[in-house]
Amino acid sequence: MPFSANAEEKAGKSQMSQETCLDLLILCFRRKSKKDLSISLPFSGGSFQFFLFLFKPESDLSIRSGMTLLLWVFSFVGFAAQDTVALEQVEVYAPALDRFAQGQKVVSFDSKLLEAYSARSLGDLLQEKSPVFVRQYGAGMLASPSFRGTSAGHTAVFWNGLPINSPSLGQSDLSVLPVEAIDQAQLQFGSSGALFGNEAIGGSVHLGSKTEFGKGVKARISQSIGSFGMFNSAVSGGFSSKDFSTKTRIYRQFAANNFDYRDLSLPGTPEVKEDHAQVEQIGVVQDLAWNLSGKSQLKAAFWWQKADREIQPPMGSSTADLQSDENIRAVVDYFKFGERSVWNLKAGLVQDQMIFNETRNQTRQFFLATDYDFEYETDWKFKAGARATFMKGDLSTYSAADQRYEFYQSASWQAAEDLSLSLNLRQFAYADGFEPLLPGIGADWKLLQREKHELLLKASVGKGFKVPTLNDRFWEPGGNPDLLPEESINGEIGFHWLKSGLFSWDQSLTYYRMQVDNWIIWLPQGSVWSPENIREVQNQGIEYQGKANWKTGKWDWETRLSYTYSQALDLTTEPESPHQLPYTPEHQANGNLSAGIGGLSLNLSSFFVGQRAIGTGNARIMDSYQVWNAGVTFSKLTWGKVQFPLSFQVLNLLDKDYQVLYLRAMPGRSYQLNLTIHL
Amino acid sequence: MKHLFKNQLWALALLVFAFSCNDSGEEAPLGKYDTGVLIMNEGNFGANDGEVFHLDPGTGTLTKDIFELENSRPFAGLLEDMVLEEGRLYLVANTGKVEIVNPGDFKSVGAVIGDLDQPRSLATASGKLFISDYGPYDASYNTPDSYISVVSGLDGGTVKKKIEVSNKPEDLFANGKFVWVAGSEEGKLEIIDADAETVAKTLEVEGSPVLFFEQSGEVWVYSYDSEKVYFQSLNLTNQTIKEETSFDVPNAMGKITFGEDRKIYILTSTGWPNYEDAVAVVSLADGGVGLDWTTGSGFYGIGYDKARQEIYLANSNAFQGSGTVTVFKNDGTEVAEMEVGRGPSGFLFR
Repeated sequence: MPFSANAEEKAGKSQMSQETCLDLLILCFRRKSKKDLSISLPFSGGSFQFFLFLFKPESDLSIRSGMTLLLWVFSFVGFAAQDTVALEQVEVYAPALDRFAQGQKVVSFDSKLLEAYSARSLGDLLQEKSPVFVRQYGAGMLASPSFRGTSAGHTAVFWNGLPINSPSLGQSDLSVLPVEAIDQAQLQFGSSGALFGNEAIGGSVHLGSKTEFGKGVKARISQSIGSFGMFNSAVSGGFSSKDFSTKTRIYRQFAANNFDYRDLSLPGTPEVKEDHAQVEQIGVVQDLAWNLSGKSQLKAAFWWQKADREIQPPMGSSTADLQSDENIRAVVDYFKFGERSVWNLKAGLVQDQMIFNETRNQTRQFFLATDYDFEYETDWKFKAGARATFMKGDLSTYSAADQRYEFYQSASWQAAEDLSLSLNLRQFAYADGFEPLLPGIGADWKLLQREKHELLLKASVGKGFKVPTLNDRFWEPGGNPDLLPEESINGEIGFHWLKSGLFSWDQSLTYYRMQVDNWIIWLPQGSVWSPENIREVQNQGIEYQGKANWKTGKWDWETRLSYTYSQALDLTTEPESPHQLPYTPEHQANGNLSAGIGGLSLNLSSFFVGQRAIGTGNARIMDSYQVWNAGVTFSKLTWGKVQFPLSFQVLNLLDKDYQVLYLRAMPGRSYQLNLTIHL
Repeated sequence: MKHLFKNQLWALALLVFAFSCNDSGEEAPLGKYDTGVLIMNEGNFGANDGEVFHLDPGTGTLTKDIFELENSRPFAGLLEDMVLEEGRLYLVANTGKVEIVNPGDFKSVGAVIGDLDQPRSLATASGKLFISDYGPYDASYNTPDSYISVVSGLDGGTVKKKIEVSNKPEDLFANGKFVWVAGSEEGKLEIIDADAETVAKTLEVEGSPVLFFEQSGEVWVYSYDSEKVYFQSLNLTNQTIKEETSFDVPNAMGKITFGEDRKIYILTSTGWPNYEDAVAVVSLADGGVGLDWTTGSGFYGIGYDKARQEIYLANSNAFQGSGTVTVFKNDGTEVAEMEVGRGPSGFLFR
């Protein structure tokens, strides 16, 4: 059921196990416990979660059953432990909530959904399955996220805890973050500079690998073919023993993107074929992990990727730009476990190179971070850490270096059985300034706990900020060294209602309000464009996400629905009658219905994006659009011991003619066939 | 603004045409866009959202996006120039096309679509279209291969020939079978024989020539450099420069308009980093110079409504969205302000 498991808000689910996780962890080390264990190992910009459990390798039993082998498995950001603690096999269910992120909205994508989107980009995933609006400049082209009406530069993006936004551009292109390269993806909404640091104004994206032990040899081959020359291949293989784990994956994703579209710029608006949007991405991801001893662990991850793209011009232009992006990301983590504490030492490298036509821009970032996480009694949890960042940019018009030093502290208090509170602080020093206090506070309050119902109230307030990018400060000509950091404050309150039983549901409703000041905009000053702290924006909105599961006979049904109302008013030019920010739809929704029986699953999904202006003031309004997708998956096809799930998907089922951005053609109906072989 | 001067140049021809219609007693009714003000909105780079707005100055009624309104498709280009010639309105998009509409109702009557790079302006001669074009950028974003495209027929079609000219040609002016080219980057006027489709003669001028205009019965070319503006009258018969007048106006831009009493209003901008825009006024009648008729930032176009004796000043508002047009009386009194399209850059007064 490739679409049967959508983005899922897990906020509040993990509370039960948080209070005692460190204790349990330690107990587990002493091999005294037979309970499942989970612990968060936060570090700057994110946090790792540990899951310890004992199991029989051949068994599907829950944790409470007899377990014989101690395993370490950790995953990224948040907890997985649910009330039922029904972990399946050794698969660690993707965690959802950070240990100190009480009151914040967090959305997780489960492994089935990631598998279903493995041939596509993170931009597609977020657009179709989350409340985030993704500004797509065409098929396979630049895709930038907008959380809660903010800009792409207001989204911090992490991979295995490393901030991977370009230091020169201050953002990430989601179209060159293939889902194939990651095992986990989570979204955090709202300003959370205290927990996640620079650029976490509208929200943050957390991607990661998942390392497993004790699985022996595993291999996977995946091939997708589809319309418009799509031809994606991926091979992965790994081996894991009790104390060592390695996983290698290699992928190539190609699309000619020679789709037909109606060219509105030509007399008669004829149907023409796109001839300059070809995309090829190749990459290698290597994950390694060692249990050095019973109390220490080393983990490393490496990701190389190269993307070559023909830049699809807007209708009416015939430019033939070429862009090549090459990225290297590497991270090493060392963990030391104490009686009631975990110490983490982390080092990382992020190198980005972009060649646009013949213009080359390159940046490098080095990270060194450490933090210490410990529990006091059973009610208090603390974390303190520091991170140093060294960056250097060799751009086409300038070379510059920068250093940043961050210190952060977190505390979480289980004030009562049903109430937990958190306080987070961060200090941030950079070349031209010092941000002495970035606070964030939050609370989770279980209002109702019945046999089948649980109602959670979540509330939080936090600040965010963004240091001007290297381009903002140093670009020649136009760079403005006098820029101030962008700042934000965000408050939100929400309910999360869980119902179990034959007809179960999981619903959340969040109201947020945010103010962003000193928003940096590049403005023309004669023939030179220069950035200024000019924009002030007030955002507020409502986010609803719901999921329901039930059975009819042998069929398993699931439906999901998400709706977002997002108001982002530009107070800059006309504060008395402010307009909605450009390319920020007020209304956005997505839904999904899936049915499964045996190894067969059927899926129908849709996403809707409302009207949006293409500029400030009374600029042109683009039409809303709704796109439908459908798919069928045979997940239990086998040949001997070999599993080979087969799926077929139809994207843009109704052949909707639409544009996300003005005059940027998008593909019509397309077909994708995927065969995966698990060895 | 080049279209404005084209309009003036061709006003005589239109008048003749109008009188001839009267003589025959078959005067066609005016179309809804044959009166009023056409506001040219260039659009934003990468968005191709150039469009034309129409203003009825009598009622203040502003009609948005009239190309799309009348043709059920967006203009989809960056609108560089509007040229009214031969009963047609040519909408030149620097993104690589020329749309041709009936000026009365804005219905499309043709286009030049392919084989253009960065068209800048247009003139008609010998039943052909001549389109100035920067040509493609090279790796250093220079344009060493600028040209004039030749299209047979006034209603568009395919480019039949490209005539190589100096870098960055701007305005064109047709006089009989000769087409004058303002070669902005190299300070040249190149004169093309429209029949032979070759450059027949090249003149050197002071400054960077960008615009031809008619004043006091003569054709002039406007050029500028960082310190001065130059007005050079042309001897069309001998194809020489007749007279040159210069004024000390620093930081002039290519956009000017013509008021009463041979006054010329010139947009100026200090550019980055100080970025102070102004409207300077010079007088060809008495040599007077005023550098700050009005000041501000974001000035992107200027025009003069001779019928109402009003100055239209366009502000791009940094291309973030809607631009603004402010209307002034001759004495500088503001009489109206309106929100228009993205990057308003010029006006055509009908």
